[in-house]
Amino acid sequence: MRFINKCLCFVAIFGAANAGGPTLVLLDNLAIKETHSIFFKTLQDSGYTLTFKLADDANLQLSKYGEYLYQHLIIFAPTVEEFGGVVCVETITDFIDGGGNVLVAGSPQFGDILHELASECGFEIDEEDSAVIDHLNYDVSDNGYHTKIVADSVNLIDAPAIVGNKNVSPLLYQGTGLIADTENPLILRLLTASSSAYSYNPQTPIKDYPHAVGKSTLLIAALQARNNARAVFSGSLYFFSDEAFTSPIQKAQGGQKYEKSGNEAVATMIARWVFKENGVIRVSAVHHHRVGESEPPAAYTIMDDVVYSIDVQKLAGDKWVPYETNDLQLEFVRIDPFIRMTMKPVGNGRYEARFKIPDVYGVYQFKVDYTRIGLTHLYSTTQVSVRPLQHTQYERFIPSAFPYYVSAFSMMGGVFLFSLVFLHYKEDTKPKSE
Amino acid sequence: MTALTIVAKFWQEYAKNTPKKLKIIDAYLLYVFLTGVIEFVYCCLVGTFPFNSFLSGFISSVSCFVLGVCLRLQVNPQNKNQFHGISPERGFADFIFAHVILHIVVMNFIG
Repeated sequence: MRFINKCLCFVAIFGAANAGGPTLVLLDNLAIKETHSIFFKTLQDSGYTLTFKLADDANLQLSKYGEYLYQHLIIFAPTVEEFGGVVCVETITDFIDGGGNVLVAGSPQFGDILHELASECGFEIDEEDSAVIDHLNYDVSDNGYHTKIVADSVNLIDAPAIVGNKNVSPLLYQGTGLIADTENPLILRLLTASSSAYSYNPQTPIKDYPHAVGKSTLLIAALQARNNARAVFSGSLYFFSDEAFTSPIQKAQGGQKYEKSGNEAVATMIARWVFKENGVIRVSAVHHHRVGESEPPAAYTIMDDVVYSIDVQKLAGDKWVPYETNDLQLEFVRIDPFIRMTMKPVGNGRYEARFKIPDVYGVYQFKVDYTRIGLTHLYSTTQVSVRPLQHTQYERFIPSAFPYYVSAFSMMGGVFLFSLVFLHYKEDTKPKSE
Repeated sequence: MTALTIVAKFWQEYAKNTPKKLKIIDAYLLYVFLTGVIEFVYCCLVGTFPFNSFLSGFISSVSCFVLGVCLRLQVNPQNKNQFHGISPERGFADFIFAHVILHIVVMNFIG
């Protein structure tokens, strides 16, 4: 228990340095740094150290001597066919496995290597040169191909931790569509296209069925891996550009005019989420003991009344603050959960459960497994053993058992009396029977 | 011959031909048997709650009955050729020894 506490302190020290951090930005050409200056400026203002490199820079590397040089990676290099230096798809997936966060934005000219990276993360990018087309929801400034679409903010994912307030102006989007496996539980559909959209090459007549149609066309999608590393893929680099951030937006077919698109608000929120400023929770302490005691016993006894409490914290800026919710559940598991209950918040981010251990002994775990969209996966198990009653702990002299006691003693007395009679009688009868 | 006459005949034969010593054992066995039956009926009526107590009480009477039957077999003069070398005294000593162990176990388990 104490050891766990020490570990948590250790994690806390590391965790405090979480916000901001060194970030590598890979670009197709340095012009992107200028055309997306607002986005990069916001990141720098919130404490990120951005290192801009060309995607085919020959000295590119993510790690040195087994340590990662960067915590986050932004790839704004849609057309790159091969990264420079030692960076390849495998190094990037290793980076994600090592806890790094990745933000990738593309355009209709998505390079092969990004296709490969996307499929490693569970997405599929539509074929080269295809773009999301929506003949009903395109912007007034569209060039006639209906690819500069207006994405309604109602199509954003219902998770304030990721996209912030959903009541923002519509979003400008120009780029290719993504497809994701609907069975994959780790994938989050941050922004989907409207039901009239599809993804195809806008310059050619449509010969076969488009790969992505309607709401299954993902514009922005995220993966939160099992190690809580986050990766966001957007089919549109334009989505993050200064032009999209500042331009007015109006649907060409009788739409309301907005002075400014919602891109800046949403892009900033998504960046904060993917770089783990938002939606990061952790367990800071776990306590359990019998009712009326304060230390955990070496082993619980069946039918004990137990108090279990867990402290959950949320990252806010660079501080951990109490996390408040009302749907945190505890399971008391021995292979199967014997008890599953919602814990009561007792304030200051502490949740408490009181219950009676079942009448079954064995090795149990207190398990808290909390998965919510946009939050890191909270998982805490504490193993305890539950033993049966000791020989001296059983109830004695139960009234309903008295007949049994009487019979057992009468059996003893019976043997005694019988022996007396039997032994004495033998002597008396011997002369008679002979 | 009715069943009643059979029983009456049996009783007469038993009273006349059985040694007194065996009759004492039979009386003891009857007592043990009835105790066991009463215990079982009580358990059926009240339920098995202190199950260990029921088991030890019931098993003690069953074992007493079994031990009593064993003693009766060894003491019976008609079985002498089967148990030659084992005197009735030896049989009785075995009976007492088995009882001591039985009752220690029963007391441990009765709770």
